[in-house]
Amino acid sequence: MVEMGIPAAEIAGLAAEYATRTPVEILTLALERFDNIALSFSGAEDIVLVDMASKIRPGVAVFSLDTGRLHGETYRFIESVRERYPITLDVLAPDTIAVERLVREKGLFSFYKDGHTECCGIRKVVPLKRKLATVDAWITGQRQDQSPSTRASVPVIQADTAFSSAEHPVVKFNPLARWSSAEVWRYMREHDVPYNQLHEKGFASIGCEPCTRAVLPNQHEREGRWWWEEATIKECGLHAGNLKGGR
Amino acid sequence: MQTVTFVKKIKEDGSPCRKCAEVEERLQSAGLMPRIDRVVIADERDPASEGIQLAAELGVDAAPFFIVVKDGVQIVYTSYVRVLKEVLTAKTTEEEEAKEILERSDDLDFL
Repeated sequence: MVEMGIPAAEIAGLAAEYATRTPVEILTLALERFDNIALSFSGAEDIVLVDMASKIRPGVAVFSLDTGRLHGETYRFIESVRERYPITLDVLAPDTIAVERLVREKGLFSFYKDGHTECCGIRKVVPLKRKLATVDAWITGQRQDQSPSTRASVPVIQADTAFSSAEHPVVKFNPLARWSSAEVWRYMREHDVPYNQLHEKGFASIGCEPCTRAVLPNQHEREGRWWWEEATIKECGLHAGNLKGGR
Repeated sequence: MQTVTFVKKIKEDGSPCRKCAEVEERLQSAGLMPRIDRVVIADERDPASEGIQLAAELGVDAAPFFIVVKDGVQIVYTSYVRVLKEVLTAKTTEEEEAKEILERSDDLDFL
């Protein structure tokens, strides 16, 4: 009989044990250990997880965050995935009143001036938080190679400190953490996995339409997202150089 | 007896850090500034400034942060939402909690 759940004290050990396992092995562990688990699907390369997970557990719960600002190609892709795979797909919408208030107060493109966190908070994080309050674990398509500055240390299994509470711990699985983009695309070709048509138009990373752009050959995919924010993204850091100098 | 210290940062160009200014504005607009006992500056131009020294001593690497001493026990808060809720017993909105989650969780940037 398979033990259910993963106690917090065992997460780091399992993450180390599974660090070099395949995405399918990590997904199998996740789906064996958790009944109440959902896979986050953004309408991009994380389609490989839908392909893998639906073979392991037909009917697997999948959710997408519909910000209301996605590309038409992404909506069509999400719908084609719903038709092709044996999954239970929930498309989550942001709170109407919160979106209306944001747009009334700051307009439809406030993120170009104020940064993306307020808009993403309302359109993505609040619905995600609401969803994660209903599950014990979730699965993401995060990969270490997606951003050298923010994802380089993403483990294959982790306690989700952002969305857990003392009463409701949430475990997060990142089966693709150690895969490269090239490995993801090799899997997609070998298994005839469908993909978002935006990839054929030069989009490496896919998010909301106003905040995502195509990248040039050899440009990092990170450069296709929130490109106007790079200069200020770390402005709250208390620089180590100063701290050292102060001693 | 409780004392609350708010540490905010001045950047190398002399301007306040955006998040610190936002948090201060939030405290002001909610009428909570009178409940902040001390405001300390972490001035990036001055390694000897009290805020930079405190950050180093406490192992804090981002501003703003709060130091709360209650009945002789010191707790450092790097989440201003937690300060609002747990220390100042003020209401927070889902939106500001979500914004802070995003700001504090670098790996969520591609969601």
